[in-house]
Amino acid sequence: MMTKPADAAAPAPAIDIRFGQVGLIQVRLRSTDPGAILDELTGRVASAPLFFQRTGICLDLTLLGRDPQLEEMRGVMDAVRRAGMLPVGLVGSSAAVEALSAALELPVLAPFRPQTQTIPVVQPPERAEPGIPALMQHQPIRSGQRIYARSRDLVVTSTVGAGAEVIADGCVHIYGALRGRAVAGARGEAGSRVFCQEFHAELVSVAGVFRVFETLPPELAGKPVQAWLDGDDLRVAPLSS
Amino acid sequence: MTEIIVVTSGKGGVGKTTTSASVACGLAKRGKRVVVIDFDIGLRNLDLIMGCERRVVYDFVNVIQGDCTLKQALIRDKRLENLHVLAASQTRDKDALTADGVRRVLDELIAEGFDYILCDSPAGIEKGAHLAMYYADRAVVVVNPEVSSVRDSDRILGLLASKTQRAEKGNGGVKEHLLLTRYNPRRVASGEMMSVDDVKEILGLDVIGVVPESPDVLAASNAGVPVILNDESDASLAYDDAVARLLGETLPLRFLEEPKRGFFARMFGG
Repeated sequence: MMTKPADAAAPAPAIDIRFGQVGLIQVRLRSTDPGAILDELTGRVASAPLFFQRTGICLDLTLLGRDPQLEEMRGVMDAVRRAGMLPVGLVGSSAAVEALSAALELPVLAPFRPQTQTIPVVQPPERAEPGIPALMQHQPIRSGQRIYARSRDLVVTSTVGAGAEVIADGCVHIYGALRGRAVAGARGEAGSRVFCQEFHAELVSVAGVFRVFETLPPELAGKPVQAWLDGDDLRVAPLSS
Repeated sequence: MTEIIVVTSGKGGVGKTTTSASVACGLAKRGKRVVVIDFDIGLRNLDLIMGCERRVVYDFVNVIQGDCTLKQALIRDKRLENLHVLAASQTRDKDALTADGVRRVLDELIAEGFDYILCDSPAGIEKGAHLAMYYADRAVVVVNPEVSSVRDSDRILGLLASKTQRAEKGNGGVKEHLLLTRYNPRRVASGEMMSVDDVKEILGLDVIGVVPESPDVLAASNAGVPVILNDESDASLAYDDAVARLLGETLPLRFLEEPKRGFFARMFGG
């Protein structure tokens, strides 16, 4: 294993502390009725399971217009968890929210947010989820490198070398030669596919079904190829022109 | 402006040290002030190829650990006065190298006004190889036209693109060049060896030089005279072309075809 030069002399430290920003879904509560929350969230999760399943969310209490009781909040969190999401924090600015935060062992995120009771609510409930753009890779993916596109497609405009791995929860598109491994639908999305411009792959997988190419079939070698799941079978075929 | 160039490959025995020695001599012959550093701690070889093994008193590790000054450890080449060698330690292990220590020595060499610092990397992807490439501005990746060498070079190119100071700071990355060595046009023609184009295609990089397989290389190593100083050898001319390309000249590649054999040689299998 290579180590970073900063810790080349001393043993590697157990942790790194970094300041970073992560995107987080906010669930704004207008009610604390667990049944209603579970119904609505379950619908959302079912519409885009790859995006919402086991996703961290924060609960925004500012639209409630009052400070909920601890037991109410426990009910809400239970509903959120049963819908398949993971509450990771609270948003609110009152002292009561601070107290809830301590009792629930959840941090208060963005406590500086002003009270929003006066702000009119414009939240069309049936808005389509915005698409996540694909992860773009313009440099060659070299032997030993591994690229993972979480909850989205992966686009490689260069080549994937032998011994390299490209993985996506969605589709994998390679506009150069594929000599390494390509894995689409890494979290089980059976509709995902692998596309490449020049096929020399070692392994191709879609939603857990994989095929190893010990020898390359002549009808595929060097050709533009796609791989997809047909029932339980992995099909690999030239892209018809 | 000092440029730091790492000569690396991943795989062992492909000609890194031979290349470091010849490129260093080629740059020095063109009037550049050059220092070549052996990063292969414990397996000191560069001094042998350069023919200065009996003049090594202090080495790279001694400088890092403050046992001597940099000036005491730099060995001036007897043939080219603006070429210096910093030998590896033969008695220590690779843990004697530290990132801070390497940085200090490089900074001191930059302050001395050298034009080029060549870092002769050990094989592998361990600490020595990592530190040899970490501060580089450019990389010469030495590759033999065979599959395992190409695979290892691909790995090294991945590390150059991610585990170097330039990659971490995001200021343009390390400029990468491929140098093919042990190229045998006859075996390429018969399909036993990969061609320049095969290697270029797999690694997606341009080639800065192709050095033909030649008995002169081994002879030069044993004599302690870098092969580039043997004016009669194809390998020497090929290295000289590579140095010119490294300095920005555009030259066509030579020695890609089998040399024409004379009538008598063909008749009598010469």
